[in-house]
Amino acid sequence: MNIEQLLAQAEQLLAPWNKETIHPESNRLDVVIIADDLRAAVNALHDAHWGYLSAITGLDLGPASAQMEALYHFCSGLAITSLRVRLPHDNASLPSIADILPPASFFEREMQEMLGFKFSGLNISERLFLPDDWPEDVYPMRANFTLDQAAPVAGRHADELPEQGVVGGNTFVIPIGPQHPALKEPGHFEFTVDGEIVTAARMRLGYAHRGIEKAAESRNWIQNLYLFERVCGICSHTHALAYSLGVEKLAQVEAPPRAQAIRELVAGLERVHSHLLWLGVAAHEAGFDTLFMYSWRDRETVMNLLEQITGNRVNYSANLLGGVKCDIGPEQAKAIKEGLNYLETRIRHYLEVVTTDVMFLNRTRGIGTISYDEAVKFGLLGPTARASGLVRDVRVEAPYGAYTHFPVSAVTETNGDLEARCEVRLKELLVSCFTMRTIVDNLPEGPLTVRMPRKIPAGETVSRIEAPRGELFYFIKSNGGETPARVHIRTPSLCNWVSVLEKAVGRQLADIPMLIAGMDPCFSCNDRVVTLKRPGSNENWSWKQLREYGIEYYKR
Amino acid sequence: MKIGTMLKDVIESFFKKNATQLYPIERTPTPERFRGNLQYNPAACTGCCLCVKDCPSKAIELVTLDRAAKRFVLKYHMDRCVYCGQCAINCRFKCMGMSNTDWEHASLNKEEFTIYYGKDEDIEQLLANLAKPAAESIVK
Repeated sequence: MNIEQLLAQAEQLLAPWNKETIHPESNRLDVVIIADDLRAAVNALHDAHWGYLSAITGLDLGPASAQMEALYHFCSGLAITSLRVRLPHDNASLPSIADILPPASFFEREMQEMLGFKFSGLNISERLFLPDDWPEDVYPMRANFTLDQAAPVAGRHADELPEQGVVGGNTFVIPIGPQHPALKEPGHFEFTVDGEIVTAARMRLGYAHRGIEKAAESRNWIQNLYLFERVCGICSHTHALAYSLGVEKLAQVEAPPRAQAIRELVAGLERVHSHLLWLGVAAHEAGFDTLFMYSWRDRETVMNLLEQITGNRVNYSANLLGGVKCDIGPEQAKAIKEGLNYLETRIRHYLEVVTTDVMFLNRTRGIGTISYDEAVKFGLLGPTARASGLVRDVRVEAPYGAYTHFPVSAVTETNGDLEARCEVRLKELLVSCFTMRTIVDNLPEGPLTVRMPRKIPAGETVSRIEAPRGELFYFIKSNGGETPARVHIRTPSLCNWVSVLEKAVGRQLADIPMLIAGMDPCFSCNDRVVTLKRPGSNENWSWKQLREYGIEYYKR
Repeated sequence: MKIGTMLKDVIESFFKKNATQLYPIERTPTPERFRGNLQYNPAACTGCCLCVKDCPSKAIELVTLDRAAKRFVLKYHMDRCVYCGQCAINCRFKCMGMSNTDWEHASLNKEEFTIYYGKDEDIEQLLANLAKPAAESIVK
């Protein structure tokens, strides 16, 4: 189906509750509904399998109107349908849809804390981003928020750990993090274990929360480009690219073809760097440090290429609003091709290692298996979803920028275990290498930038691109001034956490580092908290059995 | 299913030179496009302040002593700089650029992270002015 048909279908599905229809852009449909009809409307889209819930954006419409708006964005290919619910400040109460669509619980909790929406049926009052001593009823993303409101309040603390971690009987809680040798970034996990079997998993993030969305409201459009580039240190180009594409769409400016191609090229190199970094981390968590060392040595090749092209190893700053800064000359083209030749042979070698090495396969094959149906239910994105056979790749489903001229094919696997996730990522790199070579050979001629206005016309836009970890979602609203009115970011790691927490229950504690590494989490991208508690299974050893085994073992 | 799939790499590495480098004894030259410290040439400057306006980290201050005589002093806070290069892009008169050789920043005191660019006498005048009570300051 094309965009028009998809949008017409969505409009028809939502007709019973539709109060007003708006077409903000050619690929978007906004349907205004009232809060009481929300669940029925979401159910209608969900039952008809119309796309997936990509993000929920909360907007404060300002003190003048004393109203807020919640936008539920559903994406299907290029088409985006947003359900808009308008609510007054003092009674912003919505029904929770987390039971229909599990990933919505993260989005709802974010809005609950940042904007003061109330969700009936969510039943989680634990803090998500905000520190425990943040005062009640102060919402940092509201328009009338001032810094002096954020004075710390004494007496409010997170759940204390039980003494010596004993919860009762044979059950222990093992806390990991926020600062822990096994974690590369700050995060806090509590695994309740019976013997060596995990019976409940809980995590708390937010240790690297920097309030970037709020900070964006006080910076001009150009300054924000560099601010968003720093959301993530690994996919910095993708964040800047998503933002640039969104702002260019609002300004009705299109970057020249050569710039678009160079953007895709840098994004491709970044994907190679990100996935090789991930491969090293995953190998390290599995205890395969040789693979870790060698994959990181080879990653230097792509880091040096990025440095040579853009001038920096990490925050490349290749993007400008309306184009790119760096050109690809004959010298760079030669270096890229040589680098890609080397990387391709190495990636093929690593692909062989992860699919044949006995030791590594013991840690990956059949572990953390996510079926296709579960992947759909959890709303997984990126390589984690593709390893379960679910094609979620914005580059393929909704091509943006140069991906229409230099397309990529989606790599999928069907097993859904950790091995499949390794395979998907490495095979994806081979596809990327092929596409990058095509781009270098067929780089369109022309200028690198077009002129951008300093003031961006009023409007709202959605910009979705494929980051190395999955779909990255930017919602950008302009009031026509020199600064954005609201930028909302939903990063892919956020949606993928569910897979870890769901799959941790019932597994051995020793599998947990691999499970966490398997989805390639990016803590600084998404700082959020999730709780999931489940009765455990007893398919393996209980505490009593483990204790008896230990006593017997040391008797010998 | 195989054992020791990485063994070949390990053995080969015995006969290769180290992947790591003994910095600072060994050095690889930085690429031509590398973005190190900001360089500024007041002779080409018109004092339009577009560089200051778009700096994401407020790392540059431009003090105009005398616009007609091109007496500008650029106060560059390299500890705040994020090395994005937007100022150099914004400058229509090419009076700014990022150096690819000046990038080794370690220092024992913070003062060295503030760099003044301009003619020597202009910098002296600015610093003398700054030392005076605030009311007489000409900054901004």
